Amino acid sequence: MAADVHFSTVEYSGDFFVLLKKVLIVDDSPAQVKLMQGLLDPEGYQSFGLNDPLRVEETIATLHPSVILLDVVMPDRNGFQVCRELKGSAEFQSIPVILVTSKDTASDKYWGEQQGADAYVTKPFTREELLRAVRRFA
Amino acid sequence: MKNANVLILTDDSEFGRLLSSCWHAERQAPSIAVLNSSLWKAQDAEAFDLVVLGPVGEANLSKILSSLNPGVAVILCAPADFREMQQLRSRYPRLLHVPLRDDWTQTLVLVAGESLRRVRAGRQAKQAISRAAQSEREAVLGRYMAEMKHSVNNALTSILGNAELLLLEPGQLSAQSLHQIKTMHSMTLRINEIMQRFSSLSSEMREAENASQAETEDLPESLSTRP
Repeated sequence: MAADVHFSTVEYSGDFFVLLKKVLIVDDSPAQVKLMQGLLDPEGYQSFGLNDPLRVEETIATLHPSVILLDVVMPDRNGFQVCRELKGSAEFQSIPVILVTSKDTASDKYWGEQQGADAYVTKPFTREELLRAVRRFA
Repeated sequence: MKNANVLILTDDSEFGRLLSSCWHAERQAPSIAVLNSSLWKAQDAEAFDLVVLGPVGEANLSKILSSLNPGVAVILCAPADFREMQQLRSRYPRLLHVPLRDDWTQTLVLVAGESLRRVRAGRQAKQAISRAAQSEREAVLGRYMAEMKHSVNNALTSILGNAELLLLEPGQLSAQSLHQIKTMHSMTLRINEIMQRFSSLSSEMREAENASQAETEDLPESLSTRP
């Protein structure tokens, strides 16, 4: 998929080159961002945290992530809105979006799907659940 | 009517006897107590749904009426030309008057039946209001818990995730720390399970409520389509 080509960085690590897949984590809670980074980075991902949902597009434009982990309940712009707008944009619609949220009802999941989300991970998640969802796309 | 309590207050024992026997001839008679007005105590009224006032001394009549709780139904049996009736009515708007004519017992039993039904309806309405208030309090608590679920889930994510991060490198932990972190991890999963049960219960209750509301809304329509 295009994401594999465009959205990875190659880093030299001693004797060999390592392909790092970029993951953008959008969550207004710095603690949650740090936690997800702690879970993803040891698995070979290069994760970037963003606490301000209003700056998602500009960050994607410079970062070119392979996948976006998106919180739903955020001030100013919720994750459903962000997802809907990304999926409606020709430039960003191919980037997989995983909604990572504590909103865990069937109607929340349904609404997430309606916004074009590619996957849905409910909080609290285990490390395996998060990695499984990310590995589907990157 | 069956579980109703009626007090007959009269100084005329024949009045009490006649009314009691007439009432007992009915299919559903209330529990009846007959009392002389001189033995009346205001607090006694609270045990009765209806007080029937027969012939009593004039001084006792005003004393009894002023001591009655406004929630108690009162029927005064007095001659049709009872002079003070107008004045008493203005002071006690809920006071019913049954004139002492030939058929007064039958009239009184009918009026008393209606009064008791009204008392019972009033009591049921009070209970319904009290239950509604109780439900409202519980609903507020439920809504608060549902709103808090989001915060609880976020907190659980941090505990669970950080425990997993620590467990990624078990070699750096002492056996005791490792055991403690594993306990924290499993307990967090347990809390999550409880929260999910709560969540599913909450959505089930919401669905039941919606279904019941839809049924209520459908009712007039189905009735109106009947030929």
